[in-house]
Amino acid sequence: MTDSSQAISVSSSPAASARKARAFDALTSQSSLLLGVLVILIIVFTILEPKFFSVATASNILTDWGSIVLIAVGQAFVIISGGIDLSVGAVIGLSGVVAAWTMANVLGLDQTVKGQDAWGGLLVGAAVSIGVGLLVGLINAFLINILKIVPFIATLSTMGAALGLSVVISQGAPIGSANDFALISSFSPQWNPFSPALIVVIVVVTILGLYLHKSRRGLYTYAIGSNAFAARAAGINVARHLTWVYALSGALAGLAGIYVYIRLGAGSPSSGTGRELDAIAAVVIGGVSLMGGIGRLSGVVIGALILFTVQSGLIMIGVEPDWKKVVVAVLIAAAVAAQVLRKSDGRS
Amino acid sequence: MKTPFRAVAVVGALAAASIAITGCTTTETGGEPAVEEISIAFVMGAESDPFFQAMKLGAEEEAAAQGVELIWQGDPANYSAETQIPIVDAVLAQQPDALVLIPTDPVALQASVDKAVAAGIVVANVDTRVEDLSDVLTFITGDNEDGGAKAADALAAKIGYEDGGSYEVVVGLTSPTATTNVGRLDGFTAQIEAEYPGIAIVDVAYSESNPEKAATNVNNWLTKYPGLDGIFAIDGTNASGAAAALEAKGLVGTVGLVGYDAYPDNVAKIESGIFTALIAQDPAEEARLAIRTIVEFIRNGSTSTPAEVVIPNVTLDANTSAADLAKYTYVAN
Repeated sequence: MTDSSQAISVSSSPAASARKARAFDALTSQSSLLLGVLVILIIVFTILEPKFFSVATASNILTDWGSIVLIAVGQAFVIISGGIDLSVGAVIGLSGVVAAWTMANVLGLDQTVKGQDAWGGLLVGAAVSIGVGLLVGLINAFLINILKIVPFIATLSTMGAALGLSVVISQGAPIGSANDFALISSFSPQWNPFSPALIVVIVVVTILGLYLHKSRRGLYTYAIGSNAFAARAAGINVARHLTWVYALSGALAGLAGIYVYIRLGAGSPSSGTGRELDAIAAVVIGGVSLMGGIGRLSGVVIGALILFTVQSGLIMIGVEPDWKKVVVAVLIAAAVAAQVLRKSDGRS
Repeated sequence: MKTPFRAVAVVGALAAASIAITGCTTTETGGEPAVEEISIAFVMGAESDPFFQAMKLGAEEEAAAQGVELIWQGDPANYSAETQIPIVDAVLAQQPDALVLIPTDPVALQASVDKAVAAGIVVANVDTRVEDLSDVLTFITGDNEDGGAKAADALAAKIGYEDGGSYEVVVGLTSPTATTNVGRLDGFTAQIEAEYPGIAIVDVAYSESNPEKAATNVNNWLTKYPGLDGIFAIDGTNASGAAAALEAKGLVGTVGLVGYDAYPDNVAKIESGIFTALIAQDPAEEARLAIRTIVEFIRNGSTSTPAEVVIPNVTLDANTSAADLAKYTYVAN
C-alpha cells in the first residue's frame, strides 16, 4: 500500500506517480468496489427493515452462499480459462441424488438416522457426491479436448444428461436418508452465523484462491484464457490443464451437491435447477471477464455474497419476488459496465 | 464496445440454449403396444415431480387396461410454459388421436390447445386448465380450493386458534401463475377470512421448483417474523424445503407446518411431527379417469364424464391410519 499523502507531495517524479496510480487502483479495484456495494446494500436493507442487521440474517445469507460459492469458484476457473460450464446446477441435483440413493439403498440408512450416527454415512455420501461431480467434469473435458466440442455445447449436453439421469434414479421424488442438521446450523444463533459445513466451504475456497493466484499452474489458467495458442507455444500442456479445470468444476459441484443434501436432508433432482446461472452471475458480478484471462476469486466470493444479500434483503423488506430477477440483472449489467469503464480508463 | 456486446451475446445465447436443452431432453417412456389405433399423448408439467410420477403410473395402468398407446412427455425438471410449448408442438407433430395436457400456464398454453383441436385431436386437461375450456372434452382436477381450506383448518388446529387471538402465517408457493397454486391459496385465504379472522397471511414467496430456494424463503421468514405461528407449503417442493429449514433451525413442533402432496419422504415426516398435516391429491386417479374418458369418447362418440370433474383431496396427519397413508403416498414405478 502506498501512502497517498507522500505520493501527492512528490507527485512530480515518475515513480511517485506510479505509486499514486497504484493507490488509485487499490481504491478502485473490483474487490473494493464490490465490498462498497455490499456495504451500501446492507445499509439500505437495514434502514428499510432493521431486523435485517442480525446474526440470523448473516446466517441465512451465508447458508445460501455456501453451495453457490463452490460452483461459482469452479465456474471462475473455467471462465478464466476461456470456457464455460453449464452443467454445474444439474450436477448438484445428480450428485445429491446418487449420494442419497447410496446412503439409503447401499448403506441402508433411512431418515431416522440423525446426529452423530449419520456422520459415517454422510462421509460415504460426500465421497460419492464428489466422485459423481468429478466424473461429469471429466466427461466435459473429454468432450472438449478429445471430441473438440465447444465448452458451451459440451456442458449443455452433460447438463441435460445429468438432469435426466437424476430424475431417472430418484424417480422424481426426493430421496431421504441419514442426516445431521447441526452440520448446517449456525454455531450460535445469537453470536456466530457460521456452521461446520460453511467452515469446510471457506477452507476449500481459500485453498483454491491461493492455488489460482499464487501457483505457477494457477497462472496457466490465465495464460490459456488470454491466448490458448500462445500458451501452447510457451510450452503449457493446454489439454491437460483444461482437463484439470473442468474436473475441478465438476468436483466442486459434487461438493455443493452434498452440501445441499445436508441442507435438505434429502437428495432432490430439482435441487440445482437454475443454479448454473446463479454461479455465472456471481462470477460476472465478481469481475471475471467472460472472454477469459481476467478475474480474481476474491471478487467471485463477494459477488456471490452480493447475490444472496440481495435475495435475502428483498424477502426481508417484502418486495415482490419477481423483482429479485430484475435487481440481479441490473447488477450483472452494472458489473460488466464497470469492467469496461475501468479498462477504457487504462487501468485494469 | 466490442467486449460488452459479446458478453451480452453470450448471456443471451446461454438463456436460449438452456431453454432449448430442457425442451429437447424429454424422456419418452411408456407406450403400451397398441391393440387398436388409438394413441393418447400425455404432456405433463415436470418429470422430476413425484406428483407426475404417480400420475404416470395411473396413466400407464389405464392405457394398458384399455389397450391404447400412451405417449408420455414433459420437461424433466422445469415447470414452465416456455419449455412446455415446444414439447406440445413436437407431440402434436406425431398426430396422436388425443392429447391429455397439464397446462403450466392457463393463457400461454391456450394456443397449443386450439392448435390441437383444429387438427381434430381430442383434448383433455388434467390438474391445471387452460382459460377457455369450451373445446376441451373434460377437465379433471383435484379440488385445490378445498385442499387450501383443509390446510387452513389443519394449521388453525395446530396453532390452537382462539377468537380474539392474533396469529402470523406465511405461504410458500412455486410460481405466481400455476392454477393449482392459485386455487389452493384462494381456498386457504377464503377459509381463513371466514373462520379464522385472527390469522394474518403476512408473506408469500416462490420456490421456482427448487427445494433449496424454498428453504431459503423459510429461513428469511423465520428471521423476519420471530413469532411466526405457521407455514402453508403449497406443494411438495415447498414442503420439503420448509421441513428442512425448520429442522435446521430446531423449530420442529414450534412452528406449524402444513404441506401439500404426499411425497414418500414427506409422509414419513408426519409421524416424526415435522408436518402437522399433508394435504394429498390422487394424481393416478386423475390420469386414469382422463384416459378412460377419452377412450370412451373416441369409441362411442360420447362420454358419461362431465365437462369438469373434481376429485376431493384428503388430509393426512398423525391420526391417519397406516393403510390410508400408504394408499395416498405418491409412488412411482
